[in-house]
Amino acid sequence: MADPKKNGTRHHRIAASAEPKQQYLAFGLGGESFAMEISYVKEVIHYGELTEVPLMPPFIRGVISLRGAMVPVIDLSVRFGRALTEIARRSCVVILEVPRGEGLVVVGVIVEKVSEVLELAASDIEPPPAFGGDLRSEFLNGVGKVGGGFVILLDVRHVLSMEEISALPGDRDAEAAPK
Amino acid sequence: MDLDKVKQTFILEARELLAAMEEALLGIEEDLNPGESINAMFRAVHTIKGSAGLFGLDPIVRFSHTVESVMDRVRSKQISLDPTLVSLLLECHDHLASLITSTQEGVEETPESHEGSQRLLNQLIPYLEGNGVIESTPVRVAAQPSGASEGGWNECWHLSIRFGPDVLRNGMDPLSFVRYLGTLGKIVHLASVVEKLPRGEDYDPETCYLGIELDLDTDADRQTIEDVFEFVREDSEIRLLPPHSKVEEYIAFIRAMPEDERFLGEILVAGGCITTKDLEEALRTQKAETLEDGVIHGRLIGTILIEDQAVPPPVVAAALDKQKKFQDRQAQEMKVVKVQADKLDRLVDLVGELVIAGASANAMAVQVHEPRLLEATTIVNKLVEEIRDNALSLRMVQIGDTFNRFRRIVRDVSQEMGKSIELELHGGDTELDKTIVEKLSDPLMHIVRNAIDHGIESLEVRRARGKPDTGSLSLNAFHDSGSIVIEVADDGGGLNKAKILKKAVERGIIREGAELSDAEITSLIFEPGFSTAEAITKLSGRGVGMDVVRQNIDELRGSIELESYEEAGTTLRIRLPLTLAIIDGFRVGIGTASYVLPLDLVIECLDLGPFLESEENHLINLRGEVLPFLRLREIFRMPGEPPTRERVVVVQYGETRAGLVVDRLMGEFQTVIKPLGNLFKQVRGVGGSTILGSGEVALILDVPQLIQLASEPSSGLRRRPATHLPPTHS
Repeated sequence: MADPKKNGTRHHRIAASAEPKQQYLAFGLGGESFAMEISYVKEVIHYGELTEVPLMPPFIRGVISLRGAMVPVIDLSVRFGRALTEIARRSCVVILEVPRGEGLVVVGVIVEKVSEVLELAASDIEPPPAFGGDLRSEFLNGVGKVGGGFVILLDVRHVLSMEEISALPGDRDAEAAPK
Repeated sequence: MDLDKVKQTFILEARELLAAMEEALLGIEEDLNPGESINAMFRAVHTIKGSAGLFGLDPIVRFSHTVESVMDRVRSKQISLDPTLVSLLLECHDHLASLITSTQEGVEETPESHEGSQRLLNQLIPYLEGNGVIESTPVRVAAQPSGASEGGWNECWHLSIRFGPDVLRNGMDPLSFVRYLGTLGKIVHLASVVEKLPRGEDYDPETCYLGIELDLDTDADRQTIEDVFEFVREDSEIRLLPPHSKVEEYIAFIRAMPEDERFLGEILVAGGCITTKDLEEALRTQKAETLEDGVIHGRLIGTILIEDQAVPPPVVAAALDKQKKFQDRQAQEMKVVKVQADKLDRLVDLVGELVIAGASANAMAVQVHEPRLLEATTIVNKLVEEIRDNALSLRMVQIGDTFNRFRRIVRDVSQEMGKSIELELHGGDTELDKTIVEKLSDPLMHIVRNAIDHGIESLEVRRARGKPDTGSLSLNAFHDSGSIVIEVADDGGGLNKAKILKKAVERGIIREGAELSDAEITSLIFEPGFSTAEAITKLSGRGVGMDVVRQNIDELRGSIELESYEEAGTTLRIRLPLTLAIIDGFRVGIGTASYVLPLDLVIECLDLGPFLESEENHLINLRGEVLPFLRLREIFRMPGEPPTRERVVVVQYGETRAGLVVDRLMGEFQTVIKPLGNLFKQVRGVGGSTILGSGEVALILDVPQLIQLASEPSSGLRRRPATHLPPTHS
């Protein structure tokens, strides 16, 4: 918005191509740029007090209280088989609503920083590379071209609904039970 | 008006009424004075019929009408309520319930439900035979000016007309009314009344002295007939007596009316038994009488209407009954307010937040050392505590309703099994959190069915063992040190330990030749994949066994104990927390983390050093009592070194005690339990979470599970494997 020229170009582009665009939330993790579809994102909060839960796999960092509700927090970096994400000044927790069964499960993921909201058209997205990189290919939706660089588009459903975390809280039962 | 919403209310109400009906039916056989139960049943069916009528749910109306008629005969002692009829009525109850359910699903009638209705109706008909309808008492035809036409109680309307003196002067022809009546139906009988006719010179040819008594066979309703006399009504006396059949219709109609606040007259008008004009007239009479007497009370409106022959007495009686019913119900409604469950949940949630916020304010006040602030927050906290208790009590329901349902189940199941079983219920007024009660009914059902199926022996076996023919089954609920205990006890054969062992070996739950204590053997029935039934019966042995029961109880943070004596009976004890929402917590610290224990399970705190009995076997000596202990630091595999001075929190759950070793004791505080969710279900020893005053999350320890862990010889951390034995109670 600050740059009317850029804004104008964008409008022009939309009008010219008339191609529907999707919004992505871009964030940094381990020095790399990632993005995920914004429709899953509920909100972004600063990393605050997190309570570790014993005996859990390391990629589950613990739980936080989001206005009274318990939200499990997942370390994406560990999930990708990398090192524990260091908590720094700009660390954030992205709160996501992931469909599961008929309902939605609220989950937080730790990221190093949240950078911006991207608008990408289908033509801006390349299929995920068949080789290279240490990420499991089912975690990826593709690679988005942004300016001169690339951003890895995560498949939120896959990243957050693998077998290990299939038992994410959020069933009606689990939520209704101990009140 | 949102009709769907109203319909929901109807369905809800119908369910409650059906429950009342069932309870009454089941209680009736033992009831020494069944009158009230019969009335309750009658009212239930009757109200359902009435409300169903409002929604045009004809299948329900048709069916319940017949049921109601039968019950009415029972009520008036024309037929007696024998066990066969009770069973039939129970079936009718079930059918009505299923009709209501399909209504809820938006289906009015299916071929099956129609068939079901028909089948039951056919069974009901014999009870109706002879006189299926309400008998009307003979009516005294009061103060009739002429002796003409006394035979008013047939299928005709009886009209008694006294034309006013000015009718002719006003240009009316009395005969024209008669002719017009002829167009409404058939005039069966007519007599003129001429008593008023004066003699000789007093006779005024322009004055009308005529009166007519006539019987009219017509389908027209009261209003239509009365409208005929629209122009002469002012100064004439016109009385309409409805035909006999109409009386019943009126009564039925009045009974079917929704119960709301009305005057007697209004009820009669709404029922079509009298018209507004009749009512006005009667009221005028009443007022006039009151004035004349100078006394406040004239004749009651019902009396006036009966004596003026506007309405037959049975109709007034029905209307009065209706009026009373409303008054009764209103009295009841004053005491009970229905609130949607989710509103209540929301309130409890909010109170939970309030408790947390209050605790945080208090913590801050302590920090700043400001006495006045501390005083203020203390008062606030006290109030919050009261609000909390009140809000929680809103969610508490008596377990009695759940218990009562078992009368039916026990009755049905024992009949099916050909066993005679008496069910005793105790402690029905024990209150429990609504959520717990809801989740309890399934496991309880399973336990009760098991007791009937496997527990209580067949008649022959009972006789051989010298027991009374009738088996006894009791459900008992009571409070016991911060938890609620529900007992299901039978005087049956008890658990056959040899059989259990054999089966457990067959199923690969234990190794052959394993040495097990009695308690360990009885606990085997809770293992997954275990079913004691030798033959799979219709009732139990469907593969869902006691392991599911245990799982359900676990989910409620409860526990099960089993006490069984061979040939003498089994007692199953379910222990449940009082509430699932808010607890008084006791905070302990391990490393940098802090955990919360439910305070009512904490017995005392001590230093580990002086009480240590055996480090190797994890035992402490508590003034002569040897208790197992476990280190939470080890259980949770926490990094770092324990402090030199370790603390022990002695906890007790049920009959079992154990010590939990922690780094620090951090004191008590009030806390709201938040579900941790399925993701963390696997974590043994953690039961939930709570939010501290600082906004931080603390985990709540699952004391029963920890005690269990401590009591086990080798404290495994994984979830109980199939070969793993349940705990022995030390």
